[in-house]
Amino acid sequence: MTDDKDVLRDVWFGRIPTCFTLYQDEITEREAEPYYLLLPRVSYLTLVTDKVKKHFQKVMRQEDISEIWFEYEGTPLKWHYPIGLLFDLLASSSALPWNITVHFKSFPEKDLLHCPSKDVIEAHFMSCVKEADALKHKSQVINEMQKKDHKQLWMGLQNDRFDQFWAINRKLMEYPAEENGFRYIPFRIYQTTTERPFIQKLFRPVSTDGQLHTLGDLLKEVCPSAVAPEVFWDQVVASDTENVLCLNSRDHPQIHRMDCSTGRSQPESKWPPSPPQRSPGPSCDGETQVPVTLLIGIPPYLKPSLEFSTQTHSNGVSVTDN
Amino acid sequence: MVGNGELQRTVLMATCVKHIFKLKMELQCHIKEHLTMYRHFFLWRAKKTINKIKRQPAAKLLQSCPTLCEPIDGSPKGSPIPGILQEALDPPLDDLEVNETTTAAEVIKYEYHVLYSCSYQVPVLYFRASFLDGRPLALKDIWEGVHECYKMRLLQGPWDTITQQEHPILGQPFFVLHPCKTSEFMTPVLKNSQKINRNVNYITSWLSMVGPAVGLNLPLSYATAASQDEGNVDGQDSSIERKSLEEH
Repeated sequence: MTDDKDVLRDVWFGRIPTCFTLYQDEITEREAEPYYLLLPRVSYLTLVTDKVKKHFQKVMRQEDISEIWFEYEGTPLKWHYPIGLLFDLLASSSALPWNITVHFKSFPEKDLLHCPSKDVIEAHFMSCVKEADALKHKSQVINEMQKKDHKQLWMGLQNDRFDQFWAINRKLMEYPAEENGFRYIPFRIYQTTTERPFIQKLFRPVSTDGQLHTLGDLLKEVCPSAVAPEVFWDQVVASDTENVLCLNSRDHPQIHRMDCSTGRSQPESKWPPSPPQRSPGPSCDGETQVPVTLLIGIPPYLKPSLEFSTQTHSNGVSVTDN
Repeated sequence: MVGNGELQRTVLMATCVKHIFKLKMELQCHIKEHLTMYRHFFLWRAKKTINKIKRQPAAKLLQSCPTLCEPIDGSPKGSPIPGILQEALDPPLDDLEVNETTTAAEVIKYEYHVLYSCSYQVPVLYFRASFLDGRPLALKDIWEGVHECYKMRLLQGPWDTITQQEHPILGQPFFVLHPCKTSEFMTPVLKNSQKINRNVNYITSWLSMVGPAVGLNLPLSYATAASQDEGNVDGQDSSIERKSLEEH
């Protein structure tokens, strides 16, 4: 995994430039200026917006302030989804910066979880990590850890400390040498087009005949409507990346590179074999984006595009569908 | 006052699924003839739960009891992997004296769902609670409402026990009883019943253990009915009736 450090760092330090504007119907004593912030993709809205809250509360009276919540183009933003996931799902085709509206009234009880304190975020994050480990290791690794290790994971995320976080997380990413991978891959597939919040199923990293599974295999089995296999190969957009990366290296050491031209996949035991291709994705503003972001086009009559963001969701792959 | 529509629906649901619940309803009619059946039922249930939840003497709780009916995933009724449970009746277990309501009383409506977690491979209890005007209860209220017997366990780690989460199918906020310890306490139950060669309905046993912590009391008749069902129903209807009568 040490070879993957570059990619892990790039994933961790991914940022989204965001502009926060106060909702026009909020009562203010003076005009509220918008607030700009670079949001970490791997974190949670309510964890990183203390400054935003303070900024707007300066121009409001105490009695007009209750629980803060965020909205993008009318959709309340679920703070318990990682920021990168929210952006990919809702705003990745819009121009940057991401424009988010801030509310202090009329909390949407039916849509959003409450977040009265950081403890709530910690509880949510830890329960995601535990569930992922239940899938990977039958909870053995997470349960053998001490409370202080759990705390360190959380503090690493809260304080944006890559090394502190990964000192513990790497243990959750290992598996015994005799196994070929985790017990099951922890993943969730989010789509804007479905009723269900996400798709989550059991999926083994290795097939019954010993073949390593690829992301394509996973999608075919779990989400067949999103991808027509023949199209998957033809429409890979080669201009952004030459290699379609399957399964984020942060989660799964077996990375499969699918050759765009031949449509065949070859397993790589380590990734990357050579320095990663650093080509910016189309949705970024010129800043070097993580090379593993790829766009796979599907004929317009099916869907505009299917974006695999390898920004992960708590030890799982998040795959979003635009 | 009470959403009579709500109660009527509840009554109908119960009667079509479990004959045993219908029987209990008729019993109560005899006891308090001057009240209409539905109103009586509501008041009785409220009283029972007042005794249980000492912290909220002013609140009356209208509770729903799950039945394994109409699972949304198409699995057969009563199968061990249930879909969403519907509201049903909570049959009486004790004294049926009815209290007059106080004007300050508030009714809280609970809705319970049992879902299956493929990560932990156990059932998980999801629930939500709101006042009749739609105002939802907060996590703090739920924690306070946990029965005294379970308070100790809750206080040891409230954030590991009951939290608010997104319902994986509906996408709405629900409270969840964390499943990480479920297999730990269910394994001895299953092992023991295997030893004495007895069939265990996993869901009934599991629910009878976790439900009461969050206000969901599974009546004993549920278990007896479940085991009777397994042993062929026909000739045993009378014994079911007798058992339910004895419980009053």
